[in-house]
Amino acid sequence: MSSRALVIGAGPAGLTSAYELAKLGVSSTIIEADEQVGGLSRTVNYKGYRFDIGGHRFFSKVPLINELWREMLSEDFLLRPRLSRIHYRGHFFDYPLKAANALAGLGPIEAFLVMLSYSKAKLFPHSEETNLEQWVSNRFGQRLYEIFFKTYTEKVWGIPCNEISADWAAQRIKNLSLKEAIRNALLGAGKSADGEVITTLIEQFHYPRLGPGMMWECCKELLAEKGNETIHGIKVDKIRHRKGRVESVIGHRSNGERVEFDADQFISSMPLRRLIQSLDPLPPDEVLAAANSLRYRDYLTVVLMAKREHVFPDNWIYIHSPEVKMGRIQNYKNWSPEMVPDPSRSSLGLEYFLWQKDEEWTWSNDRLIDLGIKECAQIGLVEPDEVEDGTVVRMKKAYPVYDHHYQERVDIIRNYLDTLPNLQTIGRNGLHRYNNQDHSMLTGVYAARNIVGEKNDVWAVNTEQDYHEEVRSSETETVSTGYTKTMGDRAVPMPIEPDEAEQIIQTAFAKLDSVALGVAFGVVAGVGLFLATAILLLKGGEFVGPRLGLLRNFLPSYEVTWPGALLGLVEGGLIGFALGFFVASLRNWSMMAYAHLLKRRAETQAAGNVLD
Amino acid sequence: MTTESVTMAGNKRTEEISREVMRIQAGVLAMVCAVLGGLLLFSMTVWLVVKDGPGAGPHLSLLGNYFIGYSVSWGGSVIGLFYGALTGGIVGWVIGTIYNLVVGLRK
Repeated sequence: MSSRALVIGAGPAGLTSAYELAKLGVSSTIIEADEQVGGLSRTVNYKGYRFDIGGHRFFSKVPLINELWREMLSEDFLLRPRLSRIHYRGHFFDYPLKAANALAGLGPIEAFLVMLSYSKAKLFPHSEETNLEQWVSNRFGQRLYEIFFKTYTEKVWGIPCNEISADWAAQRIKNLSLKEAIRNALLGAGKSADGEVITTLIEQFHYPRLGPGMMWECCKELLAEKGNETIHGIKVDKIRHRKGRVESVIGHRSNGERVEFDADQFISSMPLRRLIQSLDPLPPDEVLAAANSLRYRDYLTVVLMAKREHVFPDNWIYIHSPEVKMGRIQNYKNWSPEMVPDPSRSSLGLEYFLWQKDEEWTWSNDRLIDLGIKECAQIGLVEPDEVEDGTVVRMKKAYPVYDHHYQERVDIIRNYLDTLPNLQTIGRNGLHRYNNQDHSMLTGVYAARNIVGEKNDVWAVNTEQDYHEEVRSSETETVSTGYTKTMGDRAVPMPIEPDEAEQIIQTAFAKLDSVALGVAFGVVAGVGLFLATAILLLKGGEFVGPRLGLLRNFLPSYEVTWPGALLGLVEGGLIGFALGFFVASLRNWSMMAYAHLLKRRAETQAAGNVLD
Repeated sequence: MTTESVTMAGNKRTEEISREVMRIQAGVLAMVCAVLGGLLLFSMTVWLVVKDGPGAGPHLSLLGNYFIGYSVSWGGSVIGLFYGALTGGIVGWVIGTIYNLVVGLRK
């Protein structure tokens, strides 16, 4: 089989790249190991009950992605309220965390200890923030970290928080820029680049009527209409390359039949480790070793069907309580009422984060369902006799693990992949980056556009806030790195026209020129003292200016004489300059301090969302 | 780190928010300084007159060397209001104008 481009993986990244390629007039073939499209964003249908692999809120600050979602699904998008809480030792806490709610729920003694711990973190923070424990405890204090972050995060990642890179959390906060923090503080949470109010979407989100898989089924159909085939059941065995170019991908169907796909361009969303292992010939040992060291967290969902109309109002609940193994519980009906076939029933997704080597991964579905029923009863959500049915979905390599060395390994792999210019790797696992769906899609868009000549850095997606947001006003710009950043469809340079809010911030935070103010103050002070002295001298008298002469206590050698007037001009000028310079510097420093304060507040607020 | 590099780092941080250098509206600054200067001299004079009666404020009354007709008295307070405003206005205007001039030269 031969086509212009071959896309490996029919998840959000792969399908989006094929979709973008189709829009650019490039035909592609998509190969997928599974029988369903959507990857981690697929929706499973079990006896009419639909459920996600995890929960997928359709919320993005990237205008292009919002446009794509609307384009693919149009009227089947629902706007849903967001509610999620944390369950910890029998109590429910608001999520994102709110100080008053958290302290009230913990009780007076624990609240006091939390406050002490928070004060300590503020006074004596960890000097470096290399791991997640340091990162979170510097912001919330050690005690709050242990209650609200440690247990859940360790359930999800399966490794101690002090072994998880701080990048994981920082990526979720993404070094909010000073300007963005000011903008949010002064104008509310502000608007995204396409004008949607972010605050609203934090409390609400879009969701396909029949779950996220609906989006990808639609995308697959749209691709098929344009002649781009999605072939299911293909497992990739080898990616053949020669003289710095990938030539073909060899795989096999579920019946063992060998298939080979030729193409000019290749886009892969398969896990980075697997991609490197599939290269034929294999890359140098160092690259192979780096790939083999990448780790992925696996995940299974136990879905319970309960004969109860309302179980809890949340979309999902984080289960921090250490006494149960489940990490999160979804109530799919609260994502969309159409996720259940019967309104009098509810379906709950109990999420367990595991390694494939864990014993539970190999348990039978029945045993896992029993565990789910028991744990649900244990935390008081559903009684065992209310559960009518259940099923289990396993998802391998759901989360790329950010341990201390992952970045070095990824860099080694990336450098090697740069030697194969017609192969691009995209998506969450393709980049070994904890991207949400929107960022994965964006990598797909960029990869597709690179095929037609653009130079987008897919690895930069979701690493720098600016990468997406600096282009609010101009659709395309060439930056110093030489990459062309494109957010819309019009690839023409446009002048940057700051919006009104931007203009206000620019003016309000404009810098006072310290030297200029120093000169102005210096002239006024120097000339002022000269004139004051001269007037007294011109008026004359027996004792001229005895009191003004006291200035000699501060201005060496000054006296009320004509030479003293000249000296006063110089000395007054110098002191005036120093004063003006100081005033301007102090004002600039105060404005920066204020901006940093706003940024710190915004980061702390955003850090409360770090579990997402 | 040299002084220059410290300044450059400071500038870079400022420029993260705004690349503009502030300009002063000399007329507005003159008016603000005029109001402040006038009210300051008026209130200082009134305060001394109310507190210590006529003949009070021997040091403040030295301003009479520069402000013809000014004294620490009820009448002087009104004259002081005028002179304070005039001097404040001139100082404000001069500061604003020179500042803008220097900013323009340094651009």
